[in-house]
Amino acid sequence: MSVILIGLSLGMLLFLLAAGLTLVFGLLGVVNFAHGSLYMLGAYVALQLVAWTGSFWLALLLAPLAVGLVGGLLERLTLRRLYGRDPAYQLLITFGYILVIEEFIRMVWGVNFRSINPPSPLAGTTELFGSTVTDYRLFIIGFGLLLSLALFFVVERTRIGIVVRAASANSAMVSCLGIDVGKVRTGVFVAGAMLAAISGVVAAPLLPLKLGMSFTIIIDCFIVVVIGGLGNIRGAILGAMLIGMMRAVGQQFAADWIFLLTYGLLIATLIFRPEGLFNVRGRTA
Amino acid sequence: MKRVLFLVLALAIVPLLVKDRGSLYFMTLIMIWCIFALGYDLVFGVTGMLSFGHAAFFGIGSYVFALVVGKNAALFLLGVVAAAVAGGAAALLMAAIALRLSGIYFSLMTLAIAELFYFAASSPLRTLTGGEDGITGVPRPAFFGVSFYDDASFYLLVLVFFALALAGSALLRRSPFGQALNGVRVNEVRADQLGFDVKALKLAVFGISGAFGGVAGALLASLMQFVNPQGLHWSTSGDVVIMSLLGGIGTLFGPLIGVAVFETLKETISSRTVHWYGILGVIFIVVTMFMPRGLHGAFERARLRFARETWR
Amino acid sequence: MNRSIVGSALVAAAFFGPGAAFAQPAPEAFVIGGVVPLSGAYALLGTSMQKGVDLAIEQRGKVLSKPLRAVWEDTETKPQTSVQKANKLLAGGVSMLFGDGASGQTLAIMPVADQRKVPLLVTTSAADQITGANRNRYTFRTSNLVFMETRIAAEYVKKAGLKSVYVVAVDQPVGRDAWTTMKGILSTMGVAVAGEDFAAIGSQDYSVIIDKIAKSGTQGVFVITTGADTITFLKQAGQVKLGSKVKIFGTGFLDDDAAMAVGPDVVGVKTVARYHFSYDTPANKRFVEAYRKKYNEWPNAYAGHAYDGINWFLDVVEKTGSWNPETWVTAFENSSYPASLFGPKQMRACDHQALGVGLWAEAAAGQAPQPPLLLKVTDTFPAAGLYPDCPKT
Repeated sequence: MSVILIGLSLGMLLFLLAAGLTLVFGLLGVVNFAHGSLYMLGAYVALQLVAWTGSFWLALLLAPLAVGLVGGLLERLTLRRLYGRDPAYQLLITFGYILVIEEFIRMVWGVNFRSINPPSPLAGTTELFGSTVTDYRLFIIGFGLLLSLALFFVVERTRIGIVVRAASANSAMVSCLGIDVGKVRTGVFVAGAMLAAISGVVAAPLLPLKLGMSFTIIIDCFIVVVIGGLGNIRGAILGAMLIGMMRAVGQQFAADWIFLLTYGLLIATLIFRPEGLFNVRGRTA
Repeated sequence: MKRVLFLVLALAIVPLLVKDRGSLYFMTLIMIWCIFALGYDLVFGVTGMLSFGHAAFFGIGSYVFALVVGKNAALFLLGVVAAAVAGGAAALLMAAIALRLSGIYFSLMTLAIAELFYFAASSPLRTLTGGEDGITGVPRPAFFGVSFYDDASFYLLVLVFFALALAGSALLRRSPFGQALNGVRVNEVRADQLGFDVKALKLAVFGISGAFGGVAGALLASLMQFVNPQGLHWSTSGDVVIMSLLGGIGTLFGPLIGVAVFETLKETISSRTVHWYGILGVIFIVVTMFMPRGLHGAFERARLRFARETWR
Repeated sequence: MNRSIVGSALVAAAFFGPGAAFAQPAPEAFVIGGVVPLSGAYALLGTSMQKGVDLAIEQRGKVLSKPLRAVWEDTETKPQTSVQKANKLLAGGVSMLFGDGASGQTLAIMPVADQRKVPLLVTTSAADQITGANRNRYTFRTSNLVFMETRIAAEYVKKAGLKSVYVVAVDQPVGRDAWTTMKGILSTMGVAVAGEDFAAIGSQDYSVIIDKIAKSGTQGVFVITTGADTITFLKQAGQVKLGSKVKIFGTGFLDDDAAMAVGPDVVGVKTVARYHFSYDTPANKRFVEAYRKKYNEWPNAYAGHAYDGINWFLDVVEKTGSWNPETWVTAFENSSYPASLFGPKQMRACDHQALGVGLWAEAAAGQAPQPPLLLKVTDTFPAAGLYPDCPKT
C-alpha cells in the first residue's frame, strides 16, 4: 500500500516537470532540452529565497516568477529568431541554454551540495497502511493534483487557453484576428519555465541540490511526455503516474528490470502509438 | 577532389613539423571525430534525418574493436573491420525501427534506442564490457612488422583512414545515390513519386553512416587504449550534432571545421578557465542565431562577397 | 585565388591551430601534472584536491633546488577525458602525475602512467583494483581502499553487537564489490543478512527501499553510496526517522559537506572517516591552521589526503637527491612517513598501498567556529588487520 503512495508521489513530481515540457512542445512545437536546467534553476533560486526569508512558501511563490522571467528573456531575445527555421536549430539553441544556465548556477552557488528542508508544518510523518510516510509526500500528491486540475482548466476552459490552442493550430489565422501571436508564444514559453521551476522547488526538499541535477530527471521526463503524448496534459498526468508506479513497484519487487521496462514502454509506444498512449490519433509519419 | 588531396597532403607533413606528442595525440583525436562527423553528416546534412542516437555506433565500434583485438596488436585491421560491420548492423537495426516514424518522433526514437545500448553496456553486460570501469589496456596496432605505437606513427595510420573516409564521403555525395539522398531531403514526397525507394535509401545511408561511426569508435579505442560507456552516452550524440551544426551541415568540409573548432575551443578555453562550458554555451547560441549555415557557410558568404567586390 | 586551395588551407589551418595550442612548460622545474575533476559530478573532489596540493606547493616552494609547481587539467569526471588530459600533460613534460577523482578515471590513466614510466600518485580513488589486480610499478596510493574501509565497518558491527544487517548500494562495481567483501566477513561473524537492495546511480528516490528496510526488522543498514545518492538516501531516511529504529552506517560515504547537505537528520549516522580536521596530531593541527588561513574553510578529506600524499612523495624525492623517476619509485615503495597528518604511515612495496590507521566517526552537532553538523571521530583502529594480504606474485 505504501508502495502505491510512493508511486503516486513520484508520479506527481514527474508530472509537474513534464507538464511544462509537454505544453511548450504541444503549443510551440519546440522541444526544450533546457527544461531540466530551468527546473534546477528553480530549485537553486528557492534555496536562496529560503536563505533570505526563511519561508518555503514564499520561495514556492517567487522562484517560479524569477525563472519565468529568465525563460521569457531567453525566448524573446534568442529563440524568437528561429521559429521559421529547421527545428534542429531550436534544439541546438536549447543545448546552449543548458550550458549557460549550468555555468551561471556554478558561478553563483558553487560546486558543493546544498539542501532545503520541508517547511515545518509538513516535516512530520504519518502512519498509513503500516508504513511511515512523510507528510511532505502527501503534500506533493495533493499539490500535484491541484495544479493539474488548474492547468487543465486554464487550457481547456478559459479564453487564454483557447487563444493559445488556436495559435498553435493556425497562427496566421489567429494573428488575422488581431491577436499578437508573438506574445502568445512568449507567454507559453514563460509558462513552461514557471512550471519547471515549481517542479524544482517542490522536489528540492527531497533531494540534494547539485550541478547536473537537471540531467538526472530529464530523461524520465521525456519518457513521460512521449508516452503521454506531446502536448497532452491529461496524457502527461497518466503517463507520469504510470512511470512513477512502475518505478515504485519495480524497486519493491524487481529492481533490475526497472530500466528495461521503462525504456521498453517508451519504444513500444513510439512503435505502436507514437502520438502517445492517451492522445487522439494524428499524423506522426 | 583537389581540395581533399591538398588537405590530406597538408596533414601528412604535420608530423615532420610538429614533434610535440600531445599535439599529435590531439590532432589524431580530431581526425577520428571527423570520421564520425563525416558519417553523421551523410544522414543529417545530406538526407535530412536528425538522429540523436549516433553515439550507439561509435560506442559499439569501440567495444567490438576492444573485444576482438583483446591484447593482440596484430589483430588491429580485423578489429576495425569488425567494428565497421557492427556499427553498420546496429545502424540498420536502429533505422529499421525508427523509420516507422518521422520528425521529432524519429529523433526521440533514435535517442531511446541509443540509451538502451548505453544501459546494456553499463549494467547487464558488465562482465563483457567491464561496466562503468570499462576495458583498459587496448593495444595500439602493430602489424606487417610495423609498430604504430608512438603517437606520430599512429597519427599517420589514422590519417589513412581519415583520407579514405573523406574521399568516400565526397564520392558518395556526387554519386547518383548521393543525389537521390539530397532529393529525399529537399522533398521526400516528390522523390517517392519519381520512383525512388525512399525507405531503402534511408536505410542504406544510415547503415553506411553507422559503419563510419564504428570505424571512428575503433580508432578511438586504440588511441586512448581504453573503452567505457561514455562513447554510447547521449552527450556523445549531442556532441556530434553540435559539431556538425557549428561547422555547417550538408557540406563536405563543414563537419571537419566544426570538429576542429569545437575540440580546439574546448581545449584552449578549458585550460584557462573553469567557466569554459558557459562560454561554449554562449558561442553556440550566437552561432545558432547568426550563422545558420555554420562556420563553413559564413566563410562561403564572406568569400562570395569578397569575390563580388573585387570583380566590380 | 584558386578556391580549392583557399578552402583546404582554411581547413588545414583549423587542424594546425590545435598544434599551437600546446605550450611547453619551462625546463628546470619540478612539475606536478594534476588530472582531477574540476567539473561534472565530482567537481568538489577535484577542487579540494587542488587546494590541498596548492597549499603544499606554497609551503615548499622548491624541490631538488628547482621551483615547484603544478599544471592542472580538468578531467570532467569522465575517464575518456582523463586519458586525454593525462596524455596531454605527459607530452608537455611533467615530473609526476597526480589524481584522479573517480576510481574509473584512475583505472583508465594508470596504464598511461605505466607506459610512459611516470609516477602516478593516487590520494582519493578507493577501488581495490588500483593496488590489486590492476596495480603497476608507477602507481602509488596513500589513501584508503574499499577493502580496508569495509573491514573497519565490520569492526563496528562486532563492537555494536548487531545481529542483522541490510545493505543498500549503488548498482556499480564499487558497490557490489564492497558488499561481497562485507558479506564474507559478516558470515564469519554469524551476522544475518536482512536484505539487499541495489539502486541505479543518480536515483531520485529511495523511499521504497527505506520502507523495506523499516519493515524488515533489521538492526543495522550498511549503506554503500557516494556523493548525491548518499545525501538523497540519508535525507529521505531522516524524514521517516529511520535512524531511530535502525543503526545506519557505511564506509566512506559521509563527510562534513554531505552531513551539512543532509541536515539535522544526519545526527547519529556512523561512517568511516577518511580524514577529519579534528584528528589530534601536531601535523594535522598545523595543516588545518594553514589551510583555514589560506582558504577560510575547514579542509575536507580530499584536501587532507592530497596534502599529505604529495608531501610524502616530495619528501622522498628530496631525500633521493636525484631527478631519475626510477629512483623515486624504488625509494617511495620502501618509505615510511612519520610526519603524516594521520600519525605514522608506511608504504608497502608489494602493492604500493600505504598502511595507516582507520578512523570511525559519527555525525553530530558542532559548536562554532566548527560547522553546525560534522563528523566526530569515535574510534581509531590500528592498521594491522585492516589491509588485504600482499598478493602472491
